[in-house]
Amino acid sequence: MSDSANFLDPTVLAGLDNLELRARVAVEGFVSGLHKSPHRGFSVEFNDYRHYHTGDDMRHVDWKLYARSEKLYIKQYEDETNVRCMIVLDTSASMSYTSGGVSKLNYGITLASALAYFIMQQRDAVGLITFDEQMNEYLPAKCRKPHLMHILRTLARVKAGKKTNAVKPLTDLAATLNKKSMVILISDMLEDEKKVIATLQNLRAMGNDVIAFQLLDDAELNFPFNEASEFVDMENNESYITSPAAIRDAYLENLNEFLTYCKKQCQSSGVDYCLMNTSQPLDAALSAYMAKRAKSF
Amino acid sequence: MVFLTPLFLLGLLAALVPIAIHLIRKEKPPKLLFSTIRFLKKTSKKLVLFQQLQQILLLLLRSALIILLVIAFARPLVNQAVARLMDADPQSAVILLDVSMSMQYADTFDVAKESVLDILTSMTSGDEVALIAFSNSAEIVREFTTDIDSLSSFVADMDQAGFGSTQYLPNLRLADQLLETSRFENRAVYLVSDFQASASSETNDGWKLAPGVSFTGVDVGEESSLNLALTDLRAPEQLLEDASGQKILARVRSTGTSYLETGDVTLVINDQIIDRQTVDLSDQSEAVVTFDADFVGQGSYTGEVRVSGDSFAVDNVNYFTVDVLPKIRVLLVNGEASDNWFDDEGHWFGLAVSAAIPSPFELETIEPLALSAGALRQTDVAVLLNVGSLSGGQAEALTDYVRQGGSVLFAPADRVQANSFNTLFADITPALIQRQGASRDDYLVIADFDRRHPILRPLASEWSARFENYWSLEAVAGADVLMQFDSSEPALVERAVGAGTTLLFASSLDLEWNNLALQGLFLPFVHETLRHLAQAQEVRRSFEIGTSFTLAGNGPAGSDISALDVNGEPLEFIGDNFTVTARQPGFIKAMIDGNPLTYSINTLAGESNLAKAPVSNLYDRIINPDTSPIKSRQVRTEQLVAELERPQRMWWWILCLVALLILVESVVANRTYR
Repeated sequence: MSDSANFLDPTVLAGLDNLELRARVAVEGFVSGLHKSPHRGFSVEFNDYRHYHTGDDMRHVDWKLYARSEKLYIKQYEDETNVRCMIVLDTSASMSYTSGGVSKLNYGITLASALAYFIMQQRDAVGLITFDEQMNEYLPAKCRKPHLMHILRTLARVKAGKKTNAVKPLTDLAATLNKKSMVILISDMLEDEKKVIATLQNLRAMGNDVIAFQLLDDAELNFPFNEASEFVDMENNESYITSPAAIRDAYLENLNEFLTYCKKQCQSSGVDYCLMNTSQPLDAALSAYMAKRAKSF
Repeated sequence: MVFLTPLFLLGLLAALVPIAIHLIRKEKPPKLLFSTIRFLKKTSKKLVLFQQLQQILLLLLRSALIILLVIAFARPLVNQAVARLMDADPQSAVILLDVSMSMQYADTFDVAKESVLDILTSMTSGDEVALIAFSNSAEIVREFTTDIDSLSSFVADMDQAGFGSTQYLPNLRLADQLLETSRFENRAVYLVSDFQASASSETNDGWKLAPGVSFTGVDVGEESSLNLALTDLRAPEQLLEDASGQKILARVRSTGTSYLETGDVTLVINDQIIDRQTVDLSDQSEAVVTFDADFVGQGSYTGEVRVSGDSFAVDNVNYFTVDVLPKIRVLLVNGEASDNWFDDEGHWFGLAVSAAIPSPFELETIEPLALSAGALRQTDVAVLLNVGSLSGGQAEALTDYVRQGGSVLFAPADRVQANSFNTLFADITPALIQRQGASRDDYLVIADFDRRHPILRPLASEWSARFENYWSLEAVAGADVLMQFDSSEPALVERAVGAGTTLLFASSLDLEWNNLALQGLFLPFVHETLRHLAQAQEVRRSFEIGTSFTLAGNGPAGSDISALDVNGEPLEFIGDNFTVTARQPGFIKAMIDGNPLTYSINTLAGESNLAKAPVSNLYDRIINPDTSPIKSRQVRTEQLVAELERPQRMWWWILCLVALLILVESVVANRTYR
């Protein structure tokens, strides 16, 4: 478990340039660290063979074919589910904040990649939306492997944008969803949280499964600053001169009020909420997805 | 407010440093990109305002710290203290208050206290005053103090004058010495007294007050006075039994400025009035009154003579004690008794013992064979004159007698055998007899003797006796040689044995070997020897005011002694020091080893003389014509430094405030962004 934990460390993952590799390491590290699960797989219909590669589960080796051909082949199965999963990634300016480790955006990209990879591994369809104050990228949910590469390349191109407006892309998304889907929002939600959560609640009310990953930097959560500074808002460039030591308690009180609101509102409407510290490993996010996936299907 | 080191005030410029730093840091703090400031903006505006106030407070604190430190190092001084020290002319004064017996006359002492209070009232703030209460001794009641009120209340509460005599010059010298340590150059001596003429006539060796010391005499004595005083009393101190018809003489004198013509004089013995006489002083200033008194029984008598007729009662009584002693029992063992007085060994000794009338001795003569323990128990002193042979039992009885406190005088002559003597009395003899020394052609004389010994102290004159025969003596260990012949051989040796004493005279006490019995010193020699051996020393029992004496005069060290003063209050003694100083007239009653002894204390006759002398007499004798004050620079510097230091202790307080501000600054600074 310790090795997998190392792989899931966000700083380690961030050091991997290849986003596919990053996603695979994250997912496989996570999967190999799991205990034996009663869910052996979601797709049971045989689809194709492929050559055995080191590390493949020996249970999926077709031993009969081996007896005939003396070659190891792995059986692959056809996805039978109708899950469509849309990953909605916030790329606003505030997401680029980092206190020294991995930025929230980078963490979010890794998380999105890992989820996409993971979802694709489950033979589910996955799509991607990136947005700041408007929708920047839209990739519909598909279940083909080239589509995954398309998603990963899109994520690799993501740059931090300007202001945040999650309502519009989520509203647009809701309009396009014609059957039950899973919507995964990856955002710091540092905007009008009431509107955002209301939109998420609408998505949930439409019968969709909604997971909200709220990414916050450790400095945002603990406000460890001491020196008097001019704090500049990364989205609107407003500044505020203050002594952090003097207002730390008030800041944390305000932040907790905000987070508590988000959590309670999400929970009350059936939206899964997961607050993530960008200094923490990704497994919490993947676990949350798996739990949701298992519960739904 | 002035500053002792004003140059430090330049440091006030440093107070600008925090302001400058504050202004420099006024430029914008470093920018810090943050995801959102919505939670910062929601913090209370009061917090921001409070931060600004904290910054201003911090700035003020730091500036105040620097300012206070600079002020502390500049050593501020209160103006008033400086003015008092620099501009005023403060005075150091010593007030001498006469508390001698004469000050008890009428309301003299009350007037004296009022005068002292007037002097104190005339003092200005900052003056320092010392008070000395004096008579023949001095007591510094108060060292120099500026607390005039405290001193005034002390003087107002003073009870009364004492019984001492007046002595000006020693106390003026004391005041002068005290002024040497004073802090101010304006020095003064105030003498408040009745200025008795007798005290003003003290001899002076030319001493004068220090230059610049002023003298003010305040005469509080009555211009006219009436007084009868007992200036002298003659009464026997020790008598033998049956001493009747004893004369007691009292001298009565009119000592006031006006004469009293008559007075009644009363003799009281053991609280009983014995006699009363009226003295007529119409044509004389003094008269002697004679009383007859009988002291019949053995014991101690206390008596007093009183005179009445005036209002000053302190000197109207004179106390005395009379001890009637038992006779000293002397047992003479005559080793060569004879009907012929010329050949009788004890003839001359007997004459000497019985010569005084009445004799203080009770003499019993026996032959050596009659000497027994029973006979010894009835005697105070045993004298063995030329006793040649005693039995062993007799010698043992004599030894026991000495060890138990008896005393023996040996005077061996021709009947004594040296070996036999040395053997028989080996335990008690002061010296061993060696051999007879005889010279018909020459003689020995007494060449030296111990002049401090009780026997020989009153006999310090020329000993002209010739000794043609004598015993050559060798003093034993622990014995004292009291007399020596001119041959350096011992003539009289003393030894303490047990509780008793033995004396060995090296020759006879008749005319057979020497002519001592024909000398004038023979009789007192015999008497003093017997008194010494009987340990009946005369103890002085009468003292005057101011005298110190020891109660343990006759007792051995560690005696059990207690005493009551004239008021009946127990006297306190420290260790084995049983010294008493006579301070009031009356009787001091002591108990020494169970024996009661009474001491009489009387006033000094000189204090009864109320005649006055002008203050100018004393002034002319003691005032120094040199008016330049002595500047005791060292003393003055030290005291001025101390005086300057006191008001400027303000800087200590400032430093304490600085320390407190540093603490506050630390707290505030920790709560304010840097």
